[in-house]
Amino acid sequence: MAVSERAALSTPVPAYRPVPAWRFARLKLRILRNSLRGRTSRVMLFLAGALFGVYLAGMGFLLAAVSSAGDPPVRLMVASFGGAALVLGSVLLPLVWFGVDDTLDPARFALLPVGRWRLVAGLFSAALVSVPAAALLVATSGLLVPAVAHGGAGAGAVQALGVVAGLLLCVAAGRAVTSAFATMLRSRRVRDLAGILLACLAALLAPLQLAVVSAVERADWDQLATVARVVGWTPLGAPYTAGIEMAQGRPVAALAKLLIAAGTVLLLLWWWSRSLEPAMVGAASAGPTRAVRGNRAGPVAQLFPRVLPGLPVTGFGAMVAREVRYWWRDAKRRANLITIAVIGVLVPMLVTAGGSRAVLDLEGTGAPALPPFATTLTVLFVGAFAASVLANQFGFDGTAYAGHVTIGVPGRPELRARAVAHALLMVPLLVLVGVVVAVVRGEPAAAPAGWGVLLAGYGTGLAVNQVVSVLGAYPLPESSNPFATASGSGIAKSLLALLAIVTAYVVATPVLVAAALLGDAWPWLAVPVGVAYGGAAAALGGRLAGNLLDRRAPELLAAVTPRR
Amino acid sequence: MPAGSFYGLLGPNGAGKTTTLSMAVGLLRPDAGGAWVLGHDVWADPVSAKRRLGALPDGVRLFDRLSGPELLAYTGLLRGMDPATVDQRATELLDVLALGDAGRTLVVDYSAGMKKKIALACALLHAPRLLVLDEPFEAVDPVSAALIRDILGRYVAGGGTVIFSSHVMEVVERLCSHVAILDQGVIKTVGTLAEVRGGRALEEVFVEVVGGRTATGDELSWL
Repeated sequence: MAVSERAALSTPVPAYRPVPAWRFARLKLRILRNSLRGRTSRVMLFLAGALFGVYLAGMGFLLAAVSSAGDPPVRLMVASFGGAALVLGSVLLPLVWFGVDDTLDPARFALLPVGRWRLVAGLFSAALVSVPAAALLVATSGLLVPAVAHGGAGAGAVQALGVVAGLLLCVAAGRAVTSAFATMLRSRRVRDLAGILLACLAALLAPLQLAVVSAVERADWDQLATVARVVGWTPLGAPYTAGIEMAQGRPVAALAKLLIAAGTVLLLLWWWSRSLEPAMVGAASAGPTRAVRGNRAGPVAQLFPRVLPGLPVTGFGAMVAREVRYWWRDAKRRANLITIAVIGVLVPMLVTAGGSRAVLDLEGTGAPALPPFATTLTVLFVGAFAASVLANQFGFDGTAYAGHVTIGVPGRPELRARAVAHALLMVPLLVLVGVVVAVVRGEPAAAPAGWGVLLAGYGTGLAVNQVVSVLGAYPLPESSNPFATASGSGIAKSLLALLAIVTAYVVATPVLVAAALLGDAWPWLAVPVGVAYGGAAAALGGRLAGNLLDRRAPELLAAVTPRR
Repeated sequence: MPAGSFYGLLGPNGAGKTTTLSMAVGLLRPDAGGAWVLGHDVWADPVSAKRRLGALPDGVRLFDRLSGPELLAYTGLLRGMDPATVDQRATELLDVLALGDAGRTLVVDYSAGMKKKIALACALLHAPRLLVLDEPFEAVDPVSAALIRDILGRYVAGGGTVIFSSHVMEVVERLCSHVAILDQGVIKTVGTLAEVRGGRALEEVFVEVVGGRTATGDELSWL
């Protein structure tokens, strides 16, 4: 060994002090502050989100506190079902709605000497510092009121521990599931399986839902309380019902429930830490792609997907082809698309299954519990929701949009191509949703009426979201997690999507009125009316947004450029 | 800048090179002033200006979920070119830039140098009369750099105009007919290469104009 080499090897490494977890939380706050500084619109959005959080937290607190006046089974049901709803919500909502605040992208810590558990602890404590977590804490601390009122200070203390454990559980569950889901979606195997899985899931859920509904309808108060008791022993309800056990003089049960919650948190953190490593390593790429040789087709022929043979070989056709390819190749878009497919199939099925009493009709009882109008509204929601991914369609492209700006692509064809590509993917799905809803309702002949509403809702959704996408674009972080949003923009995302859906509802009102007025004639007219109204709305929205885009292209590019 | 020139825009990090070139190609709206491409106002008449312009922006992504051939075909069709011409030119460009071997690999999986080359191919595809290139030689290996220099040299000899930003003095010295040195958003020196150099090495002039410091040897002794 050469002398210089030996010297290099024996040079002492500087002393290493482990990073405390709260440093990560401070780092996140600092990044949040810097990202808000000097951007009035961002600050306003953040404040709006915070106010919304305060409102929800207050409502939750009141509900929990008021339950103190009820009987023991009522108190149990509020704590158990309410807690379960919160835990499930914090798992599902980040997937379908908010995204995950990815201010601290794990990939950025890949080069630093931070151990896996320390990193998880740090990221976890940073995740706890957020508006939703604070709102959750305030809302659930309302459970302290019944605990103290009925069990004194001891029950109150146990419930306080339970509330904290519940918060940790919610945050850990949300993080672990989104991280695992993101890792799954990155692999091509799962990507190809996702469609099949979805179909199976949907097929399974329909009969399950019917069974649950008929059970609930036959159930009385006592049976519901039994369900609440059982849920109270699962991780979903355990932390929130611990105080009730204490108040009723069962300290061992209370302790057991706290342990269940703590164990679940640890298990979730372990699961999260497992999926962190792939997230840290595979930063930029969406997985290796096959380099297929021997394809002698010309570049133009390669661009156009073979499944869409009718596309014109022009700039417009090229944009449609590129968009269709992007909905599948870009992990962020794919995640959104799959989520929409899940929601689009599940939500109307749950609502109609709840309302239609298909099972009870077989037994010869009762009229529908929900009026058909509720189904129509739900179906309209699915249509509008399907278009809501386009609200940040330019954010998906990010700085790549500069390519269009330097070429000078005019606004209207640009937006029309994007809408057409999205419709090519979505309209078949919507048609399917219409069939599924009609079958679940037990009236397969009603499918055309559903199609009309779905297409009208989708068209108005397209109209509104095209305008929103030009005016309200925001950058997405260039991270490996398709559910990631930059700090603070989770609120922007959900507010914009909410605004777009509500507006789409308002714009689609005439179709609902027509459906109500036309009565028996509606199923015949639904499809032409829906297509005409939706198409006209989409075209009008596209014109308006296109003109806006022609004037604002450089500003739009600046809006979707992530700050580095 | 004069038509037919090979123009080098020099400046230290953060001088405003990218900002200047972005404003010139219509990516960033200037607060004041304007930009003209061969007599066409980029901001008042963007369509005719952008038709004569090929741009290679720095620090922006391409539509990188397409493969190289797909990206070129996409760019050509968006420019309104005839599909047969697009096919022929794209194949030729991929061949010359040695990107044909990448097959259907997505651009996102390309190396940094390959990304530069495919972006340059996109800028050249419609045979523009003016090329605006931001850091075209960054991250490119020496063989490819020589190739790009050769292509650009022939392009200027054929009547084209090139402006590019760089901080590699040797490249600028070897290629450019005109040079501008930019510092803190202000052009400090401008003229033909001979005028700016005044008989000295370009690097010497650059450091003097920008006012850099050199290491004395005392700092960083702990390294």
